[in-house]
Amino acid sequence: MQTDAFTYLDPSPSVWGHDSVMSPEQGPLAGKSLTIQPSLSVRGWPADAGSVALKGFVALEDATVIERLKKAGATLVGTSRMSELGLGLAGDTTGRILSEGRSDMALMTDMMGEARIIAARVGAFAFKPSNGTVSRFGLIGLAPSMECLGILARAPEDIVAVMGIMAGDDDRDFSMCGSEAPRFDHVTESDDSIKVIGFMKEPIETLSEAEVRAFRGCLDRLEKSGFRIREVSLPDYDLFRSVHHCIGAVEASSSCGKYDGVRYGHRTAAAKNWNDMYLKTRAESFGALVKAYLFQGAYFQFENYGAFENACRIRARLVKAINGLFAEVDALAFPTRSGSIREVSAEDMEGLYDDFVLTLPANVAGVPAVQIPGYCTDGNADYGLQIIGPRLSDGPLLSLAVRLSKMGT
Amino acid sequence: MEHEAVIGLEIHAELNCATKMFCDCPNRIGDEPNLNTCPICLWFPGSVPKFTADALEKAALTAMGLNCTIQDRSAFDQKVYYYPDLPKGFQLSQAHLPLARNGWLDIAGEDGQPRRLRIHKIHMEEDVAKLVHEMEGRTPISLVDFNRAGVPLVEIVTEPDMRSPHDAMEFIRALRTQIRYLGTSECSMESGSMRVDANISMRPRGTDQLNTKVEVKNMNSIRHLGDAIVYEISRQTASLVAGEPIVLHTRLWDPEKRATVAMRGKFEGPCIPDPMVPQIVVTEAWKNEMLAKLPEMPGRKADRFGRQYGLTREEALAMSAERDVSEYFEAVVNRQVAPRTATHWIAAQLLPTMRERNQSFTDTPVTPARFAGLLTLLERDAINANAAREVLARLFESEQTPETIVERYGYRQVSNADQLEGIVDQVLAANPAAVNDYRNGVAKAMGFLVGQAMQASKGKANPKLIREILTGKL
Repeated sequence: MQTDAFTYLDPSPSVWGHDSVMSPEQGPLAGKSLTIQPSLSVRGWPADAGSVALKGFVALEDATVIERLKKAGATLVGTSRMSELGLGLAGDTTGRILSEGRSDMALMTDMMGEARIIAARVGAFAFKPSNGTVSRFGLIGLAPSMECLGILARAPEDIVAVMGIMAGDDDRDFSMCGSEAPRFDHVTESDDSIKVIGFMKEPIETLSEAEVRAFRGCLDRLEKSGFRIREVSLPDYDLFRSVHHCIGAVEASSSCGKYDGVRYGHRTAAAKNWNDMYLKTRAESFGALVKAYLFQGAYFQFENYGAFENACRIRARLVKAINGLFAEVDALAFPTRSGSIREVSAEDMEGLYDDFVLTLPANVAGVPAVQIPGYCTDGNADYGLQIIGPRLSDGPLLSLAVRLSKMGT
Repeated sequence: MEHEAVIGLEIHAELNCATKMFCDCPNRIGDEPNLNTCPICLWFPGSVPKFTADALEKAALTAMGLNCTIQDRSAFDQKVYYYPDLPKGFQLSQAHLPLARNGWLDIAGEDGQPRRLRIHKIHMEEDVAKLVHEMEGRTPISLVDFNRAGVPLVEIVTEPDMRSPHDAMEFIRALRTQIRYLGTSECSMESGSMRVDANISMRPRGTDQLNTKVEVKNMNSIRHLGDAIVYEISRQTASLVAGEPIVLHTRLWDPEKRATVAMRGKFEGPCIPDPMVPQIVVTEAWKNEMLAKLPEMPGRKADRFGRQYGLTREEALAMSAERDVSEYFEAVVNRQVAPRTATHWIAAQLLPTMRERNQSFTDTPVTPARFAGLLTLLERDAINANAAREVLARLFESEQTPETIVERYGYRQVSNADQLEGIVDQVLAANPAAVNDYRNGVAKAMGFLVGQAMQASKGKANPKLIREILTGKL
């Protein structure tokens, strides 16, 4: 047993505190186990988000989703190993925990497609909900406008069940979408509201021959299953990456401002004065990749604000363009990952963005996305089928995932 | 070349909301350090700011009361800088899309003519923590008190319309009156609930150029604001005469030295739209709801008092300048007291006595009902003015009604003609010289005789009747 896949294991996973309404045997998630990252707050659990900055930090209260999962009787196994503050996947053990069957499901921060990429690697399902669907209270994040909680599972029905519990208004997070919130109680394989699936020609042009072959094969299969397939175009597609990089870095720079060693987390051992304390604490707190990201963000904040404003304007234009496409098709299909995926070195920023280039558009646009295994394959390689839908179409998208899983591979 | 000053002000006013701006911690100063804190205002990992509706309402009322236009869409930005008084490396403020724009206040200029001074914008922001610097043995240490971190503020930015210390001081006085009227902030420069920074530059008189400005901070009274501007104008004028350039920077007013001292280069950190706090979109219906909550402001109230109650302009201004006085006045008038009697007795008797006793309208035992009761007795000639003053003093001391006090202590005025005639006869007999004087045209002899009669009645006689009887008998 490789215990080092976990950074923390709940010593008594079947015994919940007095705040639990139902015992695990009774709740709708009874018998279901979940692994989380140490970036999601569980009262009393270490929550260092994989960073020296939060070394030794223990969460003071439950995140809203944790509160709801506990009440629903889910078993929280422990925390996986994660990359620093969730930037990239270096060292992440979520995939290993799932493929070893040590947990039915996993939750992880999806800032640029992390949950989908890992699921594609291990042949699992993953879901990234629409922005504003799942409360972020208690989530230790990096780039608020890009990220949300992603769910990985071996069975799509588990994702539906967990979304039904986690989603919905939270008076501790005002960014929730309120009355138009998606519902998950009508998600079934008989829901056929997604009929026309489009694919963008621009990302296809960046794929290798083998990847194109796998993706075309996947589209053929969908067409034979009764879906209408349509090619669409988004000429600005390559801007998703630049926009994510610029805005993500700026937001990360701001949200890491709180790691100053004044109130919690790591503080340098010796400093001459508070300025010195700041500099040394922060220098010791972050690894090379996060540091590079924060520097890039600070560059736009302090030296090139105009470029950041442009990125925000382009983002709005991209959202508009993608909404325009959703007037023509019900959903858009992409491969989830390219075949060249590798363990990125901890300093390689461009390599990091290369790996997520197919998943990050959904984060930029705030729309839901689902990763489905077994459809986009070439020989032994499963690149993963990623389908994204209009904002708040979370229900139909999950229905589609359930349907495709039933069609068999 | 003659120069003139160009002055603009930036005013921070703490809103008197019950809670902080982004969490439920109490907004209360003076508590034990770091008592009023929570994971949100200490910015613990995983916390999400929760914008409170109360802060928005009080900020909007303040802006409306200062004649600003509420913007349909406003949003919070992160003002990025690193300092221990800031728990997250940025301050939530509204740099790009402020809550309100284009307001004004009228003041009396130095020549006595009305002057309209424009307000550029009003935005919301959170206050920062307080730093306390102490010595631990021989080591200097800095302590941070986060009780103030996250307290709701409005920042009011004026246009550079002021030309003199007088303008700036009058503007702040007018602003304070308006905001206190609205009841959204205490606006005390002394206690720090209002902080005023002045931006001052000089230019050749008659031109309309805007030159490099200097920011002056740390004035904790309106007088210091005036003094700092006077000092800064002469300092900059001297620099100009000497041919030295004016450099953009921030100076602190030192009340001991009575001078401004250079502090640092003016810092303008970047302002990034905040991705956590949702944008604020207000509807016409909401704005109307706020308008309905807006109290009648002093200018319009003074006009109405003149019209409705027949007060002179001066009386109307005195009764309307402060909201609690105006409300007290109307509460008394609504109990059938003649408005001018109420005005006179509030201004000349009630307010001075309250000041002497260090009371406010919220804690004085002289409620409008008791005060109106006293004035009604006076108007019905049940007591005379002398007695009324004494009854008022007793109203401050006991809970009894004015009627009870009058009966128990014998203040009832004697208006019985027979009784008074007897007294007048005695007085006339005892003062033949005064009687002679009066008959020889010395008018003030009458005053003396009335006084003697009042004294003889132990102050209880109706002075009007005494005067009538005296006139008849002479």
